[in-house]
Amino acid sequence: MPSTISLRTSLGLTRQTERIPPRFDGLLALAAAVIVFAALLASWLTGGFTIDLPWAPSLDLRLAFTLDGLGALYALLASGVGIAVFAYSIRYLPLHLEHMKRPLRDGRSFYALLVLFMVSMIGLATAQDLMVIFVCFDLTAVCSYFLIGFDRSEAEARWAALMALVVTGATAVLLLLAAVLLYAELGTFSVPELAARAQPGPTLTVAGVLIAVAALAKSAQVPFHFWLRRAMVAPTPISAYLHSAAMVAAGVLVLGRLYPLLAPTQAVLDGLVVVGFASALVGGTLSLAEDRLKPILAYSTVSQYGYVVALYGLGGAAGATAAAFYVLMHGVAKSALFLTAGAVIEAAGGEDSLRRLGGLWRSMPVLAGASLVAVAAIAALPLTLGFFADELFFKAALARGPILTVVAVAVATLTFVYMFRFWSRLFLGPARAEGTPLAPGLVVPPALLALVLLVGGVAVGPFEQLAEAAGRSSIGAPAPVEAAYHLDLRATNLLALGTFALGGVGLWLEPRLRPALEAVGGLGARLGPERLYTYGLRGLNRLSDRVHDVEVRDLRSRVAAVLLPGAGLLLLGALVTPWEGRYRVGAMSLDDLGLVAGLLGAAAAAVATTRPKEHLGLALTLSGTGFALAAVYALLGAPDVALVAVLVEITLSLLFFVTLARLPAGVLRREAGLRLPLGRRVRDTLFATVAGLSAFFVVWSVTSTPKPSNPVAPELIARTDDAHAKDVVTAILADFRALDTLGEITVLAAGLVALTTLLRLRSA
Amino acid sequence: MTLPTQTLARLLLAPLLVLAAGMLVKGYTDVGDGFAAGLLAAVGFVLQDVAFGQRRAESLLPVRWAYRLALGGLGLALAVAVAPMLAGEPVLKHRPEPGVSPVKVGTLELITPVLFDVGVCLLVLGTVVTGLHLFAHPGEEEEQRS
Repeated sequence: MPSTISLRTSLGLTRQTERIPPRFDGLLALAAAVIVFAALLASWLTGGFTIDLPWAPSLDLRLAFTLDGLGALYALLASGVGIAVFAYSIRYLPLHLEHMKRPLRDGRSFYALLVLFMVSMIGLATAQDLMVIFVCFDLTAVCSYFLIGFDRSEAEARWAALMALVVTGATAVLLLLAAVLLYAELGTFSVPELAARAQPGPTLTVAGVLIAVAALAKSAQVPFHFWLRRAMVAPTPISAYLHSAAMVAAGVLVLGRLYPLLAPTQAVLDGLVVVGFASALVGGTLSLAEDRLKPILAYSTVSQYGYVVALYGLGGAAGATAAAFYVLMHGVAKSALFLTAGAVIEAAGGEDSLRRLGGLWRSMPVLAGASLVAVAAIAALPLTLGFFADELFFKAALARGPILTVVAVAVATLTFVYMFRFWSRLFLGPARAEGTPLAPGLVVPPALLALVLLVGGVAVGPFEQLAEAAGRSSIGAPAPVEAAYHLDLRATNLLALGTFALGGVGLWLEPRLRPALEAVGGLGARLGPERLYTYGLRGLNRLSDRVHDVEVRDLRSRVAAVLLPGAGLLLLGALVTPWEGRYRVGAMSLDDLGLVAGLLGAAAAAVATTRPKEHLGLALTLSGTGFALAAVYALLGAPDVALVAVLVEITLSLLFFVTLARLPAGVLRREAGLRLPLGRRVRDTLFATVAGLSAFFVVWSVTSTPKPSNPVAPELIARTDDAHAKDVVTAILADFRALDTLGEITVLAAGLVALTTLLRLRSA
Repeated sequence: MTLPTQTLARLLLAPLLVLAAGMLVKGYTDVGDGFAAGLLAAVGFVLQDVAFGQRRAESLLPVRWAYRLALGGLGLALAVAVAPMLAGEPVLKHRPEPGVSPVKVGTLELITPVLFDVGVCLLVLGTVVTGLHLFAHPGEEEEQRS
């Protein structure tokens, strides 16, 4: 990030308002988002849809997608915010690419990944099968890796991308684990069926905890919150999309979808309440302590999803519906704020510190108004959608007693303070930074999102219905909430008023508490769980290096270390198996003379390999062994095997010659003249003798027992004609067992690709 | 290398390639299959390398296509494997069906497993040639590009 800023500052960002023709890729992505949003909306208004295709019937896996309430809410959110973000990107991305000195065509992968992300998010929202949920969950993680690391030349972006992938990807495995556990117990992956069959018990508890941990890591809840702060190095549209309405929402979406599996275990719900409120408090405090725009919003996201998680934990119909409502409100508001932050940073020439910004409302009044609405919504002021969200939040907290109510008010107050601090420092006060006028492309999208929040503040009906439908999907029963303005002194209103009053006091106190807050922020950065991650990753790296060293540097001695005990065991096994019928010396006819001669030749060649000193001679005697064995195969009546053996032997010998020809002759001569120390020679001889003896006895034992009749062989021979073949071996390889061959050649190709990549890397 | 080696290598190249092609064609009626044919062709190439050195050998044959040839071979084999699925049939089902007599060109029968075998052959040939090239000149292509 710092280098980005300096780059931007040095460029002076004078091309801000210059006309850059929009590129096709951005428009295409925007069109995709609009069409998907319209289709989803139309489908939802006409009763939703269900897709149910068999995937792996033997495992009862189905590609099952249903646009129910929960699915509709998240899918509409993902595609709706997608419209705003893609529209914004059309204006923003060319500027960003120019700062990063990257060609405009790099935008293609940007939009492709964003669209793929949107699709996987919609898939996740509508999926009804645990395995499909897991796949979509991981798809979002993989997409986010590439998106966060979009500025791949920046080390910090790569580090952040890896962190997001490791934290969310590694915990996603827990979701898979839970799926398998539940399948083993209940015999299905289908979520509705699981919900119907789930009985409280140890399996459900363990599965519930696993699911919750995976979801909490995805939603950047304490103690996993650190990855979201790092992910802010991503270009702003990506933060606006992934870290408000999509990626982090995936976690709570899974909580909402699998709520019937969590709800029977009270301990899991209590855990959610604790983690949720802890995240809300920690995120709020860190947000207040931060000074840079996007990190403030990132910690605010941690805090806001803390609300949602706590609401699911508080449970019941009210909790689930309120959580859904909250996600909807927050996704719209927070993406508007991210887009605002991106526009401001662009306009201020890369400046992103609250300390050095201010008074920007003069140069960007529309943006100031739009972000005020978004801030007011998150701070839950009336006339915005946010007011109802907090009303439901207070109601759910009130139902659980005074302690949680106090915590809820504290959290809401914190939110109020950090949100208005953000806005007022940015837009009010003396103008501290030059603000160039903004292109409409950067202002209209956040303004539209703000408009949604305002409309929702007046006519909450459609949003309420959507949230209720989502709550119904989670609970499996009608989950009505009452979101309305009541002009009386009911408890929720009093709590809201109290919050606003406390928030006002907090805003007044905040500048006075600044040093303390910054100390807390610094402490969090130094002692937070991010350290654990860093140490863990470093440890893993060291372990991998050690394993690599053992494999590569000490391999030869390891081979011997494996060979000797292995041979010893085999020998022991050969000796203790009943001797009867084994180790027989059968009769020999004259026909076998050729075979014996071939075998003797092979044995003589093998002994001969111990003699040569120079390399070429060694290679030749080695291939002599191979050719002798090939002759044995031919005499045994296996021409196909013999042919391949000969060809492999020729190729290997030639490769030896080529290699030897390229090595300096002096080196070869010196190496050939070296004498091994006596200890090594004794050891090698010992190993070779034991290994040879064990092979000898094993082969003797096997060949002297009668061959088990192979029932497949006659069948294969009979079928050869059906395969239009006359050569059974070829028919087996290319037809009967072609799947095996396919696997083998795939391994060969993978080896080739690995070889190519590694050898090119070494020279680079 | 000595003159006899070079002469022999040059004389052997064409027959080896013809033999490889023959083995591929006759694979279904006689000894040998795609794997052996690929190795045989590769031997022809490696022989040039031994006799003339890499530079000459590689100017003789299009080495830079070897990598694509290998992956193309794998692609061909995969395509033969997957194609029946499009018609709702099991993976790798061969055509024509048992009992239906296939179209013949000489001894070559036009059946899908032969195509599969061709894929194997290309993969083996490409892998050996690419491997030989890379061991001698790792990263040469990169240098040329930059």
